[in-house]
Parts: sequence; structure tokens; C-alpha cells
Amino acid sequence: MRTMESKEASNNRLATLSACMSKVAEQRDKSAFAELFDHYAPQIRAYSLAREPGADLVADELVQEVMSRVWLKADKFNPRLANLNTWIFTLARNCRVDYLRRNSRYVTEIDPTDIFDNIEYEGPSPFQMAHQSRAEERIRAGLKALPREQSEILTTVYLEGKSHQQASEELQLPLGTVKSRVRLALKKLQVLVTR
Amino acid sequence: MDKISNHPTEELLAAYSAGSLPLSQALCIATHLEQCRDCMHELQQLDRVGSELMQQLEPAPAPERLKQEMLDRLDSLEDDSREAVFGGDPSIPRCLRKFVSTDYRNMRWRRVSPGIQTVELCRDSNGARVELLKIKPGSAAVTHTHSGDEYTVILEGSFSDEHGLYRKGDFVVKHPRDRHTPVATLDRECICLAVTEGPIQLTGFFGRLLNPLLRRNYA
Repeated sequence: MRTMESKEASNNRLATLSACMSKVAEQRDKSAFAELFDHYAPQIRAYSLAREPGADLVADELVQEVMSRVWLKADKFNPRLANLNTWIFTLARNCRVDYLRRNSRYVTEIDPTDIFDNIEYEGPSPFQMAHQSRAEERIRAGLKALPREQSEILTTVYLEGKSHQQASEELQLPLGTVKSRVRLALKKLQVLVTR
Repeated sequence: MDKISNHPTEELLAAYSAGSLPLSQALCIATHLEQCRDCMHELQQLDRVGSELMQQLEPAPAPERLKQEMLDRLDSLEDDSREAVFGGDPSIPRCLRKFVSTDYRNMRWRRVSPGIQTVELCRDSNGARVELLKIKPGSAAVTHTHSGDEYTVILEGSFSDEHGLYRKGDFVVKHPRDRHTPVATLDRECICLAVTEGPIQLTGFFGRLLNPLLRRNYA
């Protein structure tokens, strides 16, 4: 895990990166794109390597796939609806799912595009906007404070991309325990919405 | 949007957000999400968790040539990704329009019992069967248990079983050994999206006679 930088530093950096994103969208600015690449490519590679340690070529391929989408879909990114870091995460996740589907032994007709790109995020209210950056800070601080077993389960599910069943085999825990640990961790991060 | 009362659990939504669900299950979640603002809001929160986790990883620097190659290719990049479908019949969830282009009624339904028809949409790479079920008003499905999990999202109408009443948009998971007898309500037929991971097991005398046939169908 990386040492935490200050809240202010990370907010400033996000603002700089978001500005690069608008330059890419509006002016097709390649040096702004290069700046985004410098920041996000190492993150995307780390994300890929978390699932497949040592698979550098797969990681490079994921970087190319995600960064191509950043260039091509720059105008789809709406800074008023989403945080840039979160948008990049969802792109990386979608590309990884797509990669796994294309390389699976039995091909399915179910297209991840329909599942993940079809979702229309509703714009947050001004009230939610004001709370958005705080939500990220709260999650960041919350992750740091999680008991090891709970942060371990989130890493297994989110970064290594393991199903609950695979997580239960790998961590030698009953399936029920895996699920309840995920639930407990999310509860501590205060991300659960009353439904 | 009507208030929906049966939702995927938070750990299942988290698995969707993480991209670690089989696509057939993710399809059921997406079908529910399109109709449920609360789960959509929850998903946005869960995506943030994923994003923060990714940012906490030790960055793995990319080789310089990778960046140069990308920059050189930018002008010739073409968007070959299929755009998500937003057109089409608004009464059919967007994520299902690839399989249901016009109307549920125009599908090639196959009768499995006097009250129930089914049409298979596709299979997942793990073998799970993705299908639509149509239950006639007031008809009961045969009491059954499952050899794997069964995921159901209600697309039209409603049904009830021993555990409650399920309406449009509701998301229901049945685990192995959950025995239930779904009955469509009287006012109209009920159409559901169903994903089954293993063949269902019919219980009761006639049900047991039918089991070998079902298994053959599933294989």
C-alpha cells in the first residue's frame, strides 16, 4: 500500500487531472493526454498485476485499452456527474471484464457493454455534489482504519477480481464468512444506502 | 419508478461493481439497476470504493515506449466499440434489448407445463442458462428446489411464493435447497428474467418423474 498523501495534495491533483481531461475532450490536446497517461497508466498496470501477477503484457494491453477509451470517449466524461478517478476505475473494470470474456474458453453472447455501459448515472443534486468530495475522503480514511481481514477481503474481490466462491477457497473461509466480511467492511465505510 | 422492495444484497452489488460476477448474474443486476434508483445510488458508492482501492495500490510504472506508442497512435484510433443501446422499446430494459428486440410476445416461447412457457436467451461461459419465463395468470410453477443458485428479476406482472410477493423490478435469489412454488398473481401473466446455474429439481411425485427430462434438457 502506498503512503497517504495529504487530502489537499490529492484534491489539487485531481483538479489538475480533471482540467487535462477537459483539454483532451475539447481541444484534443495530446500533451494533456500524456499527463493523464503518466498518472493513470501505472495505476491501471498495478490493477491488472493485482489479478495476474507477473503478466506484464496483459497489463500493458489493459493500459492501451483503457487509455484508448479515455481518448475516444473523453466527451462522455462529465465532471459534474462523476469523479475522474472513479470514471477511470469503471473503465479499467469494464475493459478487464471484456478482456476476460474474449479470452474465456466458452464464449458467451452476453456483452459487457450492455451490462456496464448502459447504465445511466443520474446527476447528483447540488447537495450531493457538496458531499461528493467528502464521500471520497471518508472512504479513503475508512479503508485505512479497516481491520486487516476486512481490507483483505475487499482487495481480493475488487483488485484480484475473485468471486466470493474463489475468495472463500483462497482464504480458506466459509462462503458465508466471506460475504459477511464484505458486508461489514462496507458498513464501516458508510457506503450503504437505505434501500 | 415504483418503490422496489427486493434488492440484491450489498455484497452481490459489490461483486458487480468489482466486475467479479459471472456475466449472467451481472445481467440480472443490470436489469434491476435500470429500475432501481436506490441500488444505482449504492452502486455509485461502491464504484468509489473500487476507485480508492485502485489508487492505494503501489503504482507499477509503464515502460516509456508504451506511452510513445500510444501517443503515435492517437490520430488513427477508431472507436470500434459497440455503442450501448438507448433506442428501442422503453418497456424492455436496455441491457436485454440485444435479446428482445421488439416485444416479449414475439419470442419463440416453448411450453414446459400448462401454465409456464420459456425461451432461452443464451448461455453464460460458466454454463448458466439465461432465459425468460412466462407464467399464466394464477398459474403455479411446480414446486422445485435448485441444484445451483437461481436469479430472477421480474419484468412484467408479479408472482408470489411461500416467502412473499414479488413485483416488477424485484430481484430474487434462490439458493440450493430453497424449495418454493411460485404462483403468478391473477390479474396478468408474469414475465421474468431467470438465470439458473444448475438444473432445477422438481419435488413431489410428478415432479420427480419429470426430473430426468429436465436434466437432459439442461445438458
